[in-house]
This record gives sequence, structure tokens and C-alpha cells, in this order.
Amino acid sequence: MHWLARFFQKEKSEKLLDEELQFHLERQTADLIARGLAPEEARRQAVLAFGGVEPIKEDCREARRLSFVEILLQDLRFASRMLRKDPTFTIAAAVTLALGIGANTAIFSIVNAVILRPLPYKDSSRIVAISTHTPMFPTFSLGLPWTDFQQIRLQSASLEQAVAYSEESKTLTGKGNPSIVSVVNVSEDFFDELGPNPEQGRLLTREDHQPQQNHVIVISSALWHTRFGASPSALGQVLVLDKIPYTIVGVAAPGFVFPEKTDAWVPLSLTPEEQHSHTYFMLQTIAKLRPGQKMEKLQAELDTISGRIVKENPEVGAGLRFNAAWLLEKRIEGTRTAYLILLGAATLVLLISCANLASMLLARGSGRQREMAVRAALGASASRLFRQGIVESCLLALLGGALGILLAAGGVRLFRAIAPATTPRLDEVSLDATLLWSLLTALVAGLLFGIVPVRRAARTAPSDALKGGVGTASSSDAISRKSRLGSVLVALEVALAFVLIAGSVLMTLTVSRLLHQNPGFRADHLLTLDLPSPYLSPSVDFEAWTKKRVEFTRQIVEQVASVPGASAVTAADHGLLGGMTMMQANFFVDGALPLASKEERRAGARYVYPSFFRFMEIPLVRGREFTDRDSKGATRVALVNEAMALEYWGTLDVLGKRISVRKDEKGGRMWNEVVGVVADARDVRLREKASPVYFLSMLQGGDISFHLLIRTQTDPQALAGAISRKIWATYPEQPVTNIATMSETISDSVGDERLRGILLTVFASVGLLLALVGVYGVVSYAVSRRTQEIGIRIALGASRTTVLGMILVQGLLPVLIGVATGAACTLALARVFASQLYEVQPNDPATFLATTLLVFAVASLACLIPARRASTVDPLIALRYQ
Amino acid sequence: MPPTPPEKSDLLKGTLDMLILKVVALGPIHGYAISQRIQQISKDFFQVPQGSLYPALHRLEDRGWVKTEWKASGTGRDAKFYALTKKGRKQLETEVASWGNVASAVALILRAAE
Repeated sequence: MHWLARFFQKEKSEKLLDEELQFHLERQTADLIARGLAPEEARRQAVLAFGGVEPIKEDCREARRLSFVEILLQDLRFASRMLRKDPTFTIAAAVTLALGIGANTAIFSIVNAVILRPLPYKDSSRIVAISTHTPMFPTFSLGLPWTDFQQIRLQSASLEQAVAYSEESKTLTGKGNPSIVSVVNVSEDFFDELGPNPEQGRLLTREDHQPQQNHVIVISSALWHTRFGASPSALGQVLVLDKIPYTIVGVAAPGFVFPEKTDAWVPLSLTPEEQHSHTYFMLQTIAKLRPGQKMEKLQAELDTISGRIVKENPEVGAGLRFNAAWLLEKRIEGTRTAYLILLGAATLVLLISCANLASMLLARGSGRQREMAVRAALGASASRLFRQGIVESCLLALLGGALGILLAAGGVRLFRAIAPATTPRLDEVSLDATLLWSLLTALVAGLLFGIVPVRRAARTAPSDALKGGVGTASSSDAISRKSRLGSVLVALEVALAFVLIAGSVLMTLTVSRLLHQNPGFRADHLLTLDLPSPYLSPSVDFEAWTKKRVEFTRQIVEQVASVPGASAVTAADHGLLGGMTMMQANFFVDGALPLASKEERRAGARYVYPSFFRFMEIPLVRGREFTDRDSKGATRVALVNEAMALEYWGTLDVLGKRISVRKDEKGGRMWNEVVGVVADARDVRLREKASPVYFLSMLQGGDISFHLLIRTQTDPQALAGAISRKIWATYPEQPVTNIATMSETISDSVGDERLRGILLTVFASVGLLLALVGVYGVVSYAVSRRTQEIGIRIALGASRTTVLGMILVQGLLPVLIGVATGAACTLALARVFASQLYEVQPNDPATFLATTLLVFAVASLACLIPARRASTVDPLIALRYQ
Repeated sequence: MPPTPPEKSDLLKGTLDMLILKVVALGPIHGYAISQRIQQISKDFFQVPQGSLYPALHRLEDRGWVKTEWKASGTGRDAKFYALTKKGRKQLETEVASWGNVASAVALILRAAE
């Protein structure tokens, strides 16, 4: 292991080598003196005969077979010194690489996780989803009836297994706070087919599906953690779902969710009618193809089966068809295009980065020819120069790559934070093995782009390079072609950056305007929550249930009002600004204006508690609000908003007009009298002006859903716990869900616009950085080519500022073109996407002005650095050495 | 690299190591003396340039065929003395043997062409 010892004694051995050679020289000199020469002459001849000391030292060092590590370290030290000498170049190149690689890695990881990677189930590449299409419900893709499912399962030869499942929300009561859980009812072999191993206990087996034994349940790992603190004692405990007890027999593997966001799985149990019905299209079906079987064969088998079913059961209707589709396809339905677009954008970024990098490295390479020549003259072999060049390029590439990976990690995290919760497979998105590919790409890029200038320099004879004339044999044609390409590149990058920046500004303005939009009601200090109705038992009759419900409503409002910190409480059937409302079409208006067009009448409908509008501080325009006296048995009343009054009656004086929404038992119309008109408020979405809405009293009827609103004196969130506890004190089995402050709801409601704004901003930053680097690279290259010309100009009397100005102007010309192009494109695009904006003009002059200024400022900065270098050229040096 | 006379470089490539080993085998010796000795013994035929000698010496040391020691040289400066190792001695024997084979083969061909 001499190399290890030598490694640590490098300096010492250098000294020794020097001494050894010096010794030889002295002895040679001494001998010559002994032969009669004068001391200086002897010395001179000895030195001549000796030859170049440095090359000999080099060869000795090489002869000593320096270990690979030593050589590498030497080259690395040299390379880092070279890179440090020109920090702007190094940073610019590293940033460019980082952007290209970072964007690609992030987006490829995302696309890989969502679209390319197989689903995390056993043999997932063979799993298909089967759905039904029937002319009874033409626009929907339905599930399968049990009996059809059984037939497919038994008769389809190309299927290895098939399972059916249905998903529902159940109320979980018993130990702990009541809540709503998502439960999947599954048929036999469900876990067999999908294949995870349980984390605790066992999974469902065939026996569990026997009618007497099927009150067992497997819970998800997430539920196990939140509800049972991941304690093994959870096994054997009982969960009460919709008042039915289930014994926990196992916990599924962590991360196993099927279909999506499931809390628990129970054996499927159907009533006999459901089992035999051919129209109970409620079961989702997934099946596994036998290895090697093709989809077409399965589809043919399904068609045969559906044909037979239709023949034997005419009530099904002739158009019944079963469709098979790969499960993966179904999951990512519709999002594929968006992701492919993302991938295209990332590739574009990579290409632009590469072009940038190439132009920068070329500029640098041509400027270093002299340095290479000097090194060659000092004894560096061509292979050595080559090797050092490669190490330098690789170092730069790895630097850029490492930065790129950091960027990518950040990008993936950002994506997970901002992507809407409905994104398929969002949980699986992470930075994965594409990391290695990125590093590889970085290395290859670095090698490729670094080798070209080095090779050229290594092949040039040193004397040519030293004499002058760069020896790159570029005719003026080639030069101007290269710089024209460079200018085109810059113009493109600037245009792209402009579009992205302007877009991001417009979108950000939109979000801001939305958030500041007056909703028409008082939105501060407001806490809201939902109280989903306890399950509707089929035996309870609707009227009695309604009575109980009204009583429940009164009690809740009273109780919650007594919570300290709550200044007022009211209720409605569903919340405001939730993005949804109950649209009604089946109502009749008495004395309404005739319909202007053939359209159906539509209006929103809302059940509200008395004093709802006073609570919300929505002004009363005519008449009165609901009161306690508007209860069951009293005259049926209604309220309308201004929009409805104007649209249906053409005036605001509509007191006494009537609306009908229901028929009584005998089939006659039941009429509600309008007793008041309220001002318009933003109802469904913050950006939509109010449409017609009518209101009915919660004390006179109601829906299954129940929404509670509480005005608080201090921070609304702080009261959430106290309010829940108060509710459970009287109704221990009432789940409390969707607790949120109105501020949060408003913020969520602009989620889509915010997402777009963030994405645009990210891309805008990337685009701007690329443009910055691009301008820098192109101008650097131009300056390095024109050093001689600049020297002449300065020698002939041009001032430094003139030169600076000249470079700046010529560098900014393509930028100007880019800005103009970008502005034109933005105008065009903004008009197309005008519907996305809110209270912002697509040609908002402030935006365009700001973007233009920003782009020019950044581009000028990028030009300034090489321009300054040009203006400080010493004409003598420039003229002597080209 | 300073140019070496073409004929010498071809010959010396294979044989320089062998010559050096032979000289070193005669006793510990420093680099200058080696070059002098080779020149002397070959009656000025081989004049080994420093550009070939020293890299060769370092190569031999790296391969473990010679070992080195810094000793006083008697002229004030210390000098690096090279001596043959056991491995080196074996290598020398091998090279001498193969050189002998080469010489015999060449002689055979030359005699045949007569």
C-alpha cells in the first residue's frame, strides 16, 4: 500500500524529487568544471544538457503511478480553482443546469408516480375495472348488480378473480368522538386479489362472508393510528357503525387504501332483493385477468354475458353493456393530458437550458485557448489537458446537478402542497429513482458541452494559439451565424419569460381581488360546521322524523348559544361559499312573468333558521324575516332574494306572492307565501354574482343536512372544541364535521385560482432565470469574439462608456424584440383566458408596464457584466493577443 | 517533452530498465552515477538523457524492483541511492534471459539470410 503512504507525504516527496534532480545538476556542473570549463559556462551547459526540469518532474510523477485518487484530487483542485476564477460563469452555468435538471426531475417524478408507475396492488398491471352502461341512465357509467357480477365472475374464462365493492359513509359512534368514516363493503377474496399483508391481526377471509359471521371489520392503518393510537389492543374491540357493531379483526398494511381514502373494510351484505335484482347497479367491480389474457377477449366475453342477460331479463333494456377498462386508466382519467403538457414544458426548459449552457461554454472555451496553449508549452500532454477539462466539466455538471436535485425536491414538495386534494394518486408522489437519472443527465451534459472546447484546444498546436489568431478557423460567416442563433435564442427566452411573468401577475391580481370581494354578508369571526343527520332508519316515517328534526334544531341552537364566547348562533341546511348549492327546478311561481326563453326555471333553495339574515348582516329589503312563529302548522312562508324577485316578478314588491315546492298527500299543490325580500349576497362562489334564491324556514321543514353558524367574540377556531363538547353533551352520537372559519372557507374557495397563480409564478421565475442566463451567455460570447475589434476601437479613441453602451445596446436588441413578441402573445392569450381573470383586464396596462420594466432590468443586469469586462479591455493586450 | 533521438528511444524503451537494473545490481548508486556508469561501460554508446533516466528510476521504484535511501554523498548534499531488491534481482534475471533469446533469434535469422 505504498500509494497510501505516498498520498500523505506528497509535499515531502515533491521536495525530495527536486533535491534529487538538483543533485544531478550539481554533479554534472562539477564534472564540467573539473574538465576545465568556467563555472557559469559549466552550469549553463549542464542545464542545457539536462533539459527541461519541469517536464522531467512531470514524467517522474507520472511514472510513480500516482494512485487514481491522487490524480483525481489533483485535477479536482485545479478544476475548482479554474471555476472560482470566473464566479459569474460558474454560477450562471450551474443555475442553468440546475433549472433544466431540477424541473425535469420534479416533473418526471410526478408524472411517474401518477401516470406511469403501476398501482400499489398485487399484479396491478392485470387489474381491470368493469362498469355498466345502460340507456336507462345514459350519461353515467354505473356499477354492476350482484347477480350480473356473479355471472361474470363464474363464466368469464379470461378472469382469474373478480371482486365487487361499494363505498359508503357511516356514522361511527361508541368510544371516542362520533365521526363520519368511509367504509367499503367488499365481496369475497377482496384482500386476496389486492394482496397486502395485514399490519396487525388478519384480513377478511371467505368465512367472514357467511351471513352469521359477517360483522367483522378490517380498519385502515391511518384509522388505527388516529382512533386507537396504534395500540395492539385495538384487535377485538368493537366499532359501532350506523348503530351496528363490528369486531375489529385486523389492520391493513400502512399505505394500503382502496379505492381512495378508505377507513375500513367490511364484508358485503346484501338483502335478498338486492342480490337478485338486475337493476341494482350499485357494485363497483374490479377483476384480474389471467396472465397473458388480452382485454379484447374479456370484452368479447362480457358482451356475450350481457347479451344473455338481456335476453333472459327483458326488463333490463336492450342497451345493457359491460365495459372493461384498465384500473390505472380509470384512476387517472382526464388528467393524462395535463401531465403530458407539464412534461412537455419541462422538456422545453431542459432544451433551453442546454442551449444556454452550450453558448456559455463555447464563449468560455474560446477565451481560454491561450491558457491551454501555455499549459501545453509547459509540458502538459494532450491527454492531460483533456482529462483536466473533463474533470472541470464534470465538477460543474455535478454542482449544477446537486442544485437541481435540491430544486426538484422542493418542487415535488410544493406540488404536493398545492395540488388539489382530488388529484389521483397524490399520496404516491415523491422524488424517486429519477434522481439517479438526473445525476446521470447532469454528468452527460457536462461532459458533452465541456469536451468540445477542450478537444479543440487540445488539438491546436500551442504555437499557433500563442501567436495569435484563435485558430478556431471560424470564418466571419460562422461567427455571425452563431451570434444570430444566440440572438434568436435570447429573443425566444425573453418572450417566454414575459408571457409567464405577465400571466402570473394577472393571476395573482385575480386572487387578490377575489379575496377582497365583499361577499355581501359579514364574514369575520364566523365559525361554521356541519352536523350530518343520524342515519335515516327506514322504519321511521318522514313526518315524525321531521318533527324530531325541528326539535333537534332548536335545541342545538339554544345549547350552542350558551357556550361562552359565542355571541350569536344560527343555522341553515347548507353553508355559504361552499362551491355547491341545492338547485331546484321543480317549483312553481304564482303570478310570475312569462319565461323569456324556452329554458327551465332554476333557482337556488335554502332552508334557514329564524333571524338568519340578521345574523349574517344581510339587509332586509322588503317585509320581514322568519321568526319562531313560522313553525310547523302555521302558514307556510318563504323569502326570496332581490335577484329572484326581479327575475320572476320584475319588481321588488312581491310580498304576498306565492311559491310552491311540494305537493301534499292528495297531490294538491302546497303554497308558501312570500313574506320578505333580502339583499343579494355571494352564495355559491365568491366570483359569481347572486342568482335567484328562495328561502324556507327550518322550523317548517328541512333536509337531511344541517349547517350551524356561530358568531364568536374572539378567535373562532378557539371555540371549536367547546362547541363540539356542548353538542355531544346532549347528543353523544352526533358527528360534528367540516369545522371551519368563514375566512378559511373563503380562502379555500379561491383554491383553483391560487393554484394556477402559484404554478405560473414558479414557471415565471424559471423562465426569467433562464432568460437572464441566456442573455449573459450570448453577450459574453459576442464580447469574447470581438475583443480585438474592441481593442482597436479603444485604441482609436473610443471612450470606455461608448464601448459599454455599444455592447449594452447590441445585447439588449434581441431583448427588445423578445419583449415585444411576449407582449403580443400575452395580449392574445389573455383574451383567450379572460374568463379565468376576475376584475382584471386582459390588457391591464399596469401589468404590462411592470413586466416590461422587470424584464429589461434583469436583462440589462445580465448584459452589464460582460459589457463591463469589454469596456475594461486593455487595447494593447487585446491587439496583441486575439 | 524534449525530443529524444528516434533510434535511441526505440531501443531504450525495452532495455533501459534492464540496463539500470544491471548497474544497480553492482551496488547502491545514485542517479547521476548510474547515467555516468552506463555511458562508461557501453563506451559512450548509451547516453541516457535525464528525461528518460529519472522517470525510469521512479517507475522501477514504484514497481518494487529497486529500493532507495537518502545518504550523504560526500559532496555536501544528500543524494538518493538506489539498490536492487529481491524482486528486482528476479526481474533482472528474467529480462536478461529473454534478451538472450531475442539476440539468439536475431543471430539465427541473420546467419540464414547469408
